[in-house]
Amino acid sequence: MSIDWVAFIADAIRLATPIVFAALAALICRQAGMFNMGIEGMILWSALGAVAFAHYSGSMWVGLLGAVLVGLGSGMIIAFASITGKADLYLTCIASNLAATGGTLFVMFVLTGERANTASVFRSYQIPNIDIPVIKDIPIIGKIISGQSLLTWIAVLSVFLVWVLLKKTKLGLRIRAVGENPHAAESVGISVPKVGYVSFGICGIMSGLSGAFLSMSFVTFFMKGMSNGRGYIGLSAQNMANGEPVGSALAGLLFGFSQELSTTMKNQTNFPTEFLEMIPYAATILALGITGMVAIRKRKKIEQGQTNTKEG
Amino acid sequence: MKKISKILAGALVLSMALTACGPKETTESEKPNGGDATSKGKIAYIVSNLGDNSFNDSGERGMEVLRSEGWDVMKTIETGDASNADKFDDTIRDAIEQGAEYLVASSTYTDNFLRIAEEYPDQKFLVFDDSPDLTGRDNVAYISYAQNEGSYLVGMLAAGMSQTGTVAVNVGMENPVINDFVTGFIEGVKAQDPECKVVTAACGSWSDPVIMKNLCLDQQRNNNADVFYQVAGGSGDGLFEAAMETGTWAIGVDSDQYQVYKDGANPEKADVILTSMLKEVGNSFVAFFHQVEAGEDVWGKGMTLGLADNSVGYVDNAFFQEKVPQELRDAMASVADKVKSGELKVKSYFDFADEAEYKAYVEAAK
Repeated sequence: MSIDWVAFIADAIRLATPIVFAALAALICRQAGMFNMGIEGMILWSALGAVAFAHYSGSMWVGLLGAVLVGLGSGMIIAFASITGKADLYLTCIASNLAATGGTLFVMFVLTGERANTASVFRSYQIPNIDIPVIKDIPIIGKIISGQSLLTWIAVLSVFLVWVLLKKTKLGLRIRAVGENPHAAESVGISVPKVGYVSFGICGIMSGLSGAFLSMSFVTFFMKGMSNGRGYIGLSAQNMANGEPVGSALAGLLFGFSQELSTTMKNQTNFPTEFLEMIPYAATILALGITGMVAIRKRKKIEQGQTNTKEG
Repeated sequence: MKKISKILAGALVLSMALTACGPKETTESEKPNGGDATSKGKIAYIVSNLGDNSFNDSGERGMEVLRSEGWDVMKTIETGDASNADKFDDTIRDAIEQGAEYLVASSTYTDNFLRIAEEYPDQKFLVFDDSPDLTGRDNVAYISYAQNEGSYLVGMLAAGMSQTGTVAVNVGMENPVINDFVTGFIEGVKAQDPECKVVTAACGSWSDPVIMKNLCLDQQRNNNADVFYQVAGGSGDGLFEAAMETGTWAIGVDSDQYQVYKDGANPEKADVILTSMLKEVGNSFVAFFHQVEAGEDVWGKGMTLGLADNSVGYVDNAFFQEKVPQELRDAMASVADKVKSGELKVKSYFDFADEAEYKAYVEAAK
């Protein structure tokens, strides 16, 4: 028994990919001042959408597009209920997550006649893994970077794009303005509902990619409940980083590592499984606690600084 | 306009909540005592969901056989999974009110059955895949399965097919029945090749194929495992994909999973599944109700059905015959005969004094 740590890192990145997408989805809504708990259900719908579109069109690219559209659509439903309908966002999200659990199962049954998974009825498609010519021959790094899914690379790109969007564009400024103070934003002529819909739209696209990764990359079928809490983990990942794109992605990566660690320890040690199951979630709580403490200390320092200047 | 959209949004949220909460009852609205006079008795079969391509569906096939033999079998009642557990009691009572004389359900409903059986002494309750204490319960019976015997045979197969000398058995979650699968498998592996190592891991969920696949990839890489046995419900499909990706063998469980894939949209996925360990729930129902019909005293006690009763076994299909050497197949068949005749008794999880002893046993197999 010797653990291949290079492959360990590669697998951790693989496991982190859907969480990073979920974190990006969550942070866009957060920047616009909305705590979107509905991502879990949006991922589930998208995962089903991916395999269904791919099967009926015979093309994995249509499947990927389908996942994004389904994610977008499910985001719009929540946005409609909470922005236009003024329904409580938390309750809407909880309801839509519950509806996704039963609804995906129902739609899967209608489409396939199966209730366990789509593997025997829908043709499987896998988003290709990218082998990078020169890099793949570099010892350690090659094994980690080369051979990752195209979606993992899209995740990396998305982190950058979301960062640019928020920090460098007019739309990003508006999203942040609405998030900081919707009344102030409205007073300078920004349409708050419009910004809300746009944020939910981007959030839906990210959730769609997360779902597509689950059902068209890591495995190649849809199964009921296959999001297994990844939406919530993504939510806490962005919370750890205060909604900053790069920090959220790193936090998502941390959760990927803790899942991989839990996997490896299950196989290589005799710790009780129930204890190891806890690792990703315990890591969440620990990380949230630490970031919370850091934030409080920072605020204290600022407050102290302000008093100091006043005194000076 | 604003008001309308508000109402719409409200209705939307409400409908979402309702669809999520509503139990999927497919109970037929039959009148009490509606069964015809010539019927042998009215049976209600209660499951979480049909369509699992495994356990519940196998039971359903058994019920169809009973129906054709003149039993008045109600339309199968689906309760949804354990998140609807608060409604299990009501569902069972509903079935009784519709005239069910015999109620059949798996271990998920053991507690509900034991509770309700006290209220309805005239009804008979059959729990399968569990072995509760039935002292003083003369209207309850159980059927449990010798999954250790079937697992023993596929354990021999795994050890015989392994090139690397390491095999793996991955489960969804640990519980006594699942541990019995693992015990039998380890016994079989060691009987075939005492040097062969067995890695065991629990996925932690019955519906997380992603984590299951990740577990298998890790076992293939770090432990060099090259035959994987799944006892993991829905998560098990992740194991098949891992076997496909790494060019290793897989062994299915409960129903003929090779055939399920071969008949489906992805027949190439079947080509990693050497065989499946079968648990013939349906056959056991038929056998049980034959005994009831014959007037045998079956209530207030339980029975454990194994290889000898054709309630567990393995799939012996063309793919299995093509890929597995004759010698190994013969060895499996002869051991099966020995178990059937009682000459060989396979160690069971229930033979361990406590959990710690079992853990030590699993650890020693690594």
